[in-house]
Amino acid sequence: MTTLTPSTPVPTALSAIAERLENGGALLPDSPENLVEVVGVLKSYAVVLDAYSINLNYIAEHQFLVLFPFFKYMNGDVTAGKLMRHWLHQRINYEFAEYCMKAMFWHGGGGLDAYLDTEEFRTRATAAIQAKLKGNLMMRGINQLFPQFLLEQIRQLSFYSGLGQFWRVMSDMFMVLSDRYDAGDITSIADVVDHIKQGLVDNAAMPITYAVTIEGDRYEIIPATAGLTFLMDTAVPYVEAVFLRSFPFFGTVSYNAQAQQIPPEQADFSYGVLFADPLPTGGAGIPPTLLMQDLTHYLPDYLRAVYAGGLRGNGDLRVKINQSFQKSMFCVTTSAILGLMPHPLTTSQPQEQQANREFIDSWLARLEPSALLRVQTPQS
Amino acid sequence: MLSILIWLPVLAGLAIACLPEAIMTPTRSRQVAMAIALVILGWTGYLLTQFDVQSAGLQFQESFDWIAPLGLSYRLGMDGLSLPLIAINSLLVYIALYCSDVNLIRPRLYYSLMMLLAAGVAGAFLAQNLLLFFLFYEVELIPLYLMIAIWGGSRRGYAATKFLIYTAISGALILAAFFGLALLSGSFSFDYEQLQNLELPMTTQLILLVTIVVGFGIKVPIVPLHTWLPDAHVQAPTPTSVLLAGVLLKLGTYGLLRFGLQLLPDAWRVIAPALAILAVVNVLYGSFVAIAQTDMKKMVAYSSVGHMGYVMLAAAAATPLSIAATIAQMISHGLISALLFLLVGVVYSKTGTRNVDVLQGLLNPERGLPLIGSLMIVSVMASAGIPGMIGFIAEFLVYRSSFPIFPVATLLCMLGTALTAVYFLNLINRSFFGRLPETFANLPAIYWKDRIPALIVVALVIAFGLQPGWIIRWSEPTSLALGTLGDRSTTTAFVEANPLTLPLSAPALVD
Repeated sequence: MTTLTPSTPVPTALSAIAERLENGGALLPDSPENLVEVVGVLKSYAVVLDAYSINLNYIAEHQFLVLFPFFKYMNGDVTAGKLMRHWLHQRINYEFAEYCMKAMFWHGGGGLDAYLDTEEFRTRATAAIQAKLKGNLMMRGINQLFPQFLLEQIRQLSFYSGLGQFWRVMSDMFMVLSDRYDAGDITSIADVVDHIKQGLVDNAAMPITYAVTIEGDRYEIIPATAGLTFLMDTAVPYVEAVFLRSFPFFGTVSYNAQAQQIPPEQADFSYGVLFADPLPTGGAGIPPTLLMQDLTHYLPDYLRAVYAGGLRGNGDLRVKINQSFQKSMFCVTTSAILGLMPHPLTTSQPQEQQANREFIDSWLARLEPSALLRVQTPQS
Repeated sequence: MLSILIWLPVLAGLAIACLPEAIMTPTRSRQVAMAIALVILGWTGYLLTQFDVQSAGLQFQESFDWIAPLGLSYRLGMDGLSLPLIAINSLLVYIALYCSDVNLIRPRLYYSLMMLLAAGVAGAFLAQNLLLFFLFYEVELIPLYLMIAIWGGSRRGYAATKFLIYTAISGALILAAFFGLALLSGSFSFDYEQLQNLELPMTTQLILLVTIVVGFGIKVPIVPLHTWLPDAHVQAPTPTSVLLAGVLLKLGTYGLLRFGLQLLPDAWRVIAPALAILAVVNVLYGSFVAIAQTDMKKMVAYSSVGHMGYVMLAAAAATPLSIAATIAQMISHGLISALLFLLVGVVYSKTGTRNVDVLQGLLNPERGLPLIGSLMIVSVMASAGIPGMIGFIAEFLVYRSSFPIFPVATLLCMLGTALTAVYFLNLINRSFFGRLPETFANLPAIYWKDRIPALIVVALVIAFGLQPGWIIRWSEPTSLALGTLGDRSTTTAFVEANPLTLPLSAPALVD
């Protein structure tokens, strides 16, 4: 008796996800529990992103070349009471926003990163540096000795601004999502994905610009004429840098690059939020607990009630938020994948369907080591 | 005054057991037991304030003839040896009640037995008549046996029976020795005071003392008479383990000092080198076997075997400072082992296992047992003799006082301290560090009631570590009296050469 061996691998959980995507579903399975978690956590995230965005833009515009920005998290409102609350940690963890900015800055990619290496940027940034250093002999001398130093600072500030503008849009988008959910418009995970995808598409061409005012004069570091736009120059690099790659740093585990404990290429890093461990003990990547702590303050009551019903009540709130947040980020990633598909999902052309499938498969292969498979089943 | 410590819990136990269930509900029986334990704790505190720390003799004495023809009189008294042990008994009984499962089966029996146990132990520490001591010594056996047999783990029957057999033999040997002492006293008296200055031939003394050492050695336990202990600990519920390690083992070392050293000091000094060797065996055997364990509770149990070896070593040296060290080590071990069993109990109740091969990552800040893990690290540090905690003070005193008498034995015992760090750090590393596995990612909630008992004991462990005078001061004159009994030829040179021991005034420790 002859046994037939299939020429293709036996369908796995990944192929089921691929089929779900092709049929208009999402990376995250649709369920009432997932919907409550995703929308609820995104509502809280909207509030936090609003604060992050305001602070990132404030730093970019008002802490321009301030080399010791002691009060950068104060948004210009430095009072004894606010400082005390800051030191008592009754505050937003703006450090998280900066980690994300640094992830983008480090990994680069997209038009923003490319623009910062152009001659136009150098000319514009140099003009701003000259204006800023006017009358500051010491800094002028240092600038002469290390001409790349302040330029690099401005590149970083450009990413502050770029991420601030990106999150401004995302914050509003998630807040509207929450309002629509409250109004009964959002009833499934697919609705969430559609809302986000539509928001990304609507804002895709929104220009990304950056200007500072020095002594009353306006200096455009990134003019509108640079042609940088929301989707391809901030959203896509953000997903790549923060969702997928991130850093092998910040954990309590000491990685040894020479022992091949981290990939030699940055492009192969997988320490992003989609890969984050909801029970963080020594993992790499941006510390998720900072964001989770911020999210605890603004959870909607319905989600808070869901969390309180767990075995440990509010004792493991940050872990639960982390799990929900990861689910929500799989929805955002789904929107990005669908938005970047080579052909419409509704195509009936076999070649186009094949191209779409290959595109989806490549994404799923990349996401296989992430939390993707874990979120396919209800988590405890 | 002292009778309150015995008869109040006895009456409470009777009330809990005998009153109709309509009156004595399970909840009320717990409340009554805890209230009585609190009163006892408060009364012990009051006795501490009334205790004359300058006196080496018995205080708060109570006496009346009970069955005169048998030589049995009801005679109680408290000195610097019994006071700290009474205090730790009162404290740990309250803690054991507090951490007892509120939903346990047969609660009225449980709480009445707990009261009986508290009374029996207090009576044994206070009795100044050998027969009375024996009665109390046997009385505590019954509740302990039943607690293991009824509320114990899966092999509770085996463990309880083994405990019963060993302790019954212990009791028989002790009774035989007591009878021997009474017969040889000439007046067939079991009165402790009358037996203190017996003039007996050395051979007779040695026979009696060896009987006493073996009898109480089972309770300590001295290797190879220890095998009942790990089984009893592993099968016993947490509150019973707390009392067993914290107080009941001390009955063994208390008996050795009270009825061995104090009644037969000359013979004691003859067999002291053998006791020191047994102490070394205890320390090293207990430590090495602890290293091989994968069950947390068994590890702590074998650690107890090892640490009781320090008590034995200092007791064998029998100088004023070493007797103070013996008492300090008894208190230290009582607190630290109780703490360890409390914490292991919480880990077991939340994870369902004590196996260090299975447990991992319990220090996880949200889903693990972070505070319990932190307290475990503190208790492990205390047990390993890290300065700043009572373990260091006690072990330092043991080594400092025993080294001039038994230098080799002391050096070998010091290895035990290093080995304690090995097995307990191994426990911490395997169970509490690393990533919390998915199997333990959804543990039940930890409440403050789970943490408070351990927090209280940790506070005491640190407080006594920083201010050791708070435990040494009570027993200073008693230690001096006990350490200068009998033929002092073996210790005279050291005692005279070393101002630390006569008088016992180590300013850094006592002030």
